[in-house]
Amino acid sequence: MTFTLLARCPRSGQVGIGIATYSICVGLYCNGLRSNAGAAMTQAFVNQGNNTLALNLLAQGFTAARVVDELKFNDPNSEYRQIAVIDRSGHAVAYSGPKTRGWSGHKAGDGYVAMGNMLAGPHVVEAIAAGYQAKPDESFERRLLRSIEAGRDAGGQVGNEGHLTERSAALVVYGAYDYAELDLRVDLHDKAVDELRRSFEEYELYRGYYRDRGKNPKDAVPQDVFVSRLERTEAAQ
Amino acid sequence: MTYSIIGRCARTGRLGLGITTFSLAVGGRCEGIAANVGVCKTQAFPNRTNDPLGIKLLAEGFLPARVMQMFAENDTEHDYRQIAIMDREGRVAAHTGSGTRGWSGHRIDADCVAFGNGLVGPQVLAGLISGFQAKPDDPLEYRLMLALEVGRDAGGQGDAQSHKPERSAAIKIVDRLDYPDIDVRVDVHPTAVEELRRMLEEFKLYEVFYRERGRNPSQAIPQDVFVTNLKARRAHGTSASKSPP
Repeated sequence: MTFTLLARCPRSGQVGIGIATYSICVGLYCNGLRSNAGAAMTQAFVNQGNNTLALNLLAQGFTAARVVDELKFNDPNSEYRQIAVIDRSGHAVAYSGPKTRGWSGHKAGDGYVAMGNMLAGPHVVEAIAAGYQAKPDESFERRLLRSIEAGRDAGGQVGNEGHLTERSAALVVYGAYDYAELDLRVDLHDKAVDELRRSFEEYELYRGYYRDRGKNPKDAVPQDVFVSRLERTEAAQ
Repeated sequence: MTYSIIGRCARTGRLGLGITTFSLAVGGRCEGIAANVGVCKTQAFPNRTNDPLGIKLLAEGFLPARVMQMFAENDTEHDYRQIAIMDREGRVAAHTGSGTRGWSGHRIDADCVAFGNGLVGPQVLAGLISGFQAKPDDPLEYRLMLALEVGRDAGGQGDAQSHKPERSAAIKIVDRLDYPDIDVRVDVHPTAVEELRRMLEEFKLYEVFYRERGRNPSQAIPQDVFVTNLKARRAHGTSASKSPP
């Protein structure tokens, strides 16, 4: 039970993931992003070796389709996995193993995969894809977040006794560097997608400050000064 | 303002990082840790290219002390950084630049380096270390967690006039494999160290279930069933983490 959007931004070349699930600490599993290599995610019954292997293959030049095949050939339990891979050309390929549970499926489009298992139905995956495409001019991370919210609003996950809440969520984006441009998580919460939105909006206020104080320490104001300025700005609005 | 500890379990070779700070989402800026390689963490005014670079240099076989020299040569603002490096054998190097703000320092102890800036004083580093060393037989994640708690209780960040709240915190552990063994985070919270403890304890209840269902999917029970069982065990007052998976 998990729903995910994995994508590559055709404008910037950034790769990213938005994900929400009933499991806790899902961000732990989102290690499948690498600058100028591509993006990979395995979920449902996770093979934790998959993402690193996929990135290594992508970096060597294999296509997304070929990488998904290799992940299947390499895993005796591949039928239990749900996999998405996007290469640096934006080719997006997905696989939803027949033994993943509940309603399980994906939609692979141009530069993105929407996928999930134990979902309320195919409309959840459709909603995730539509959410991603709704505002193509927005920042990549906002598009990822919007897609996950759309998945939640379309009914999200269901278990034996009905709707299952999102208890963890993550939003991760890699750009030009070998560290994440954005890496935000909610590990344990009753409404993890709502909390992810709150965290994101809060973090957005600080993002430029955090980046610049590292690059130009001499000119950086202390963070408590930055925070009081922020509070004054907010009060004035 | 941040206080952190990097550490190594001498028995298992696991490597770990515990960190908390006033800044938001600090766990999203902790990529400098790799199994069988080492740990590298730059803070204060961080140069984010340092940590991935440090891991690559350690993997090539450079000593932490040499990596630190290269950082100094590679960075015009090295004086503003606070850096701790540990390799897989437990060798360490630490640097607290003169441009870091507030009370700022580091302290090296057995299998760990405690370091922080914007702190109430050296007692915070002493707290980090005494927490880490208090239960040497515990798994590394618990030693790091206790270190952060004792560091917080020793006053944490701020000065004599005002305490700065911990708004984010993280613990990350690697163990042989190329993905993290444990990676728990609190990104935006008024008392992040308390919340991190809650998170870690909760995650430990699921840890084996999550690992085994990926390895042996055909044997795995659905998670909602697992959660129901967990609640029943809690109601009976038994420790779920000690029950068979």
